Amino acid sequence: MENEKTFTENDSLEVISKMIKTAQQNFKDDSFYYIFWGWMVFIAAIANYILLMTSYSSPTITWAILMPLGGIISGVYSYRHERGQKVTTYTDEIMKYVVIAFLGSLFTTLLMMSKLGTATYPIVLLIYAIWLFVSGGAIKFKPLVIGGIINWIAAVVCFYVNYEQQLLVISLAVLTGYIIPGHMLKARYQKMQTGK
Amino acid sequence: MFKDLDPLLHSQLRLSVISLLVGVKEAEFSFLKEKTGATAGNLSVQITKLSDAGYIEVTKSFRDNYPLTTCRITTKGLQAFEVYVENLKSYLKPGN
Repeated sequence: MENEKTFTENDSLEVISKMIKTAQQNFKDDSFYYIFWGWMVFIAAIANYILLMTSYSSPTITWAILMPLGGIISGVYSYRHERGQKVTTYTDEIMKYVVIAFLGSLFTTLLMMSKLGTATYPIVLLIYAIWLFVSGGAIKFKPLVIGGIINWIAAVVCFYVNYEQQLLVISLAVLTGYIIPGHMLKARYQKMQTGK
Repeated sequence: MFKDLDPLLHSQLRLSVISLLVGVKEAEFSFLKEKTGATAGNLSVQITKLSDAGYIEVTKSFRDNYPLTTCRITTKGLQAFEVYVENLKSYLKPGN
C-alpha cells in the first residue's frame, strides 16, 4: 500500500472534491417519460379535436386507448430501468414522492371529470405545471421550469376557452412543456455521457 | 495548529468511498467500483473496514439470483467526514 503512505492532505482535498463532483454528475436520464407522455397527450388531444370536428360518435376514445396503454408502457420501462439503477440520490428519493403526488392529483381530477366539467383540463394543466416546475428545479433543468410556467399560463387560457379550443391549448402546452424540454434533456444526458 | 486526521478516512480509497456516499442516499458496490476505479478485492476490504467502524451500513441482498451489495453512509460516518474535513482545513490554511 505504497499509495496509502504517500497520501497527502492536498490529495485528500482532491479526492473529496473529485468524488463529490462524480456523485453529483451521476445524472439519471428521465427524458423518456417527458418525451413519451408528451407525445401521448399531444396525439390524444389532437386526435380528439379532429374527431370532434368530424362529428365522430366517440371523440374521447383516443384518451381511453392511449392513456392506459401509456401507463402500461411506462410502467414496464420504469420497472426495467429503475431496478438496474446502481445509485439512489436524495433527489431520486424526493422525486419518488413528487411523482406519487402528481399521479394521485391527476387521477383524482380525472375521476372527478363529470363534476368538474370544462374546468377539468385547466386543472390538469395546473397539475402538469407543478410537476414540470418542481422536477425541473430538482434536476436543475431550466427548460422544464419554463415548461411549467407555460403550463400555468395555458391553464389560465383554458379557463376562458371552450372544450374544443382547450384541446388545442393542451397540445401546445405539452409540446412546449414536455416534448421540447424532454428532447433537450435527452441531449444534455447524451452530452454528459460522451463528455466523460 | 495541526489536528490529527482520522486514519480510517486518510486513505485514498476509503476517502473516495465516503466522499461518494456523502452525496447520495445509497450506492451499489458496482457503482463504487466503477467510480473509484478500484479492484473488487481491495474495495471489498476497505468497505469492510468502514463498515466495522460504523461509518457505513452495508446491506447484502439478491437481484436476479446475483448477490447485491448496497452501501450507505451512517450518521457516525457523516460526522467523521465532517470532522475530517474540518481538521484538513488546519493543514491547508496559509501560514500553517
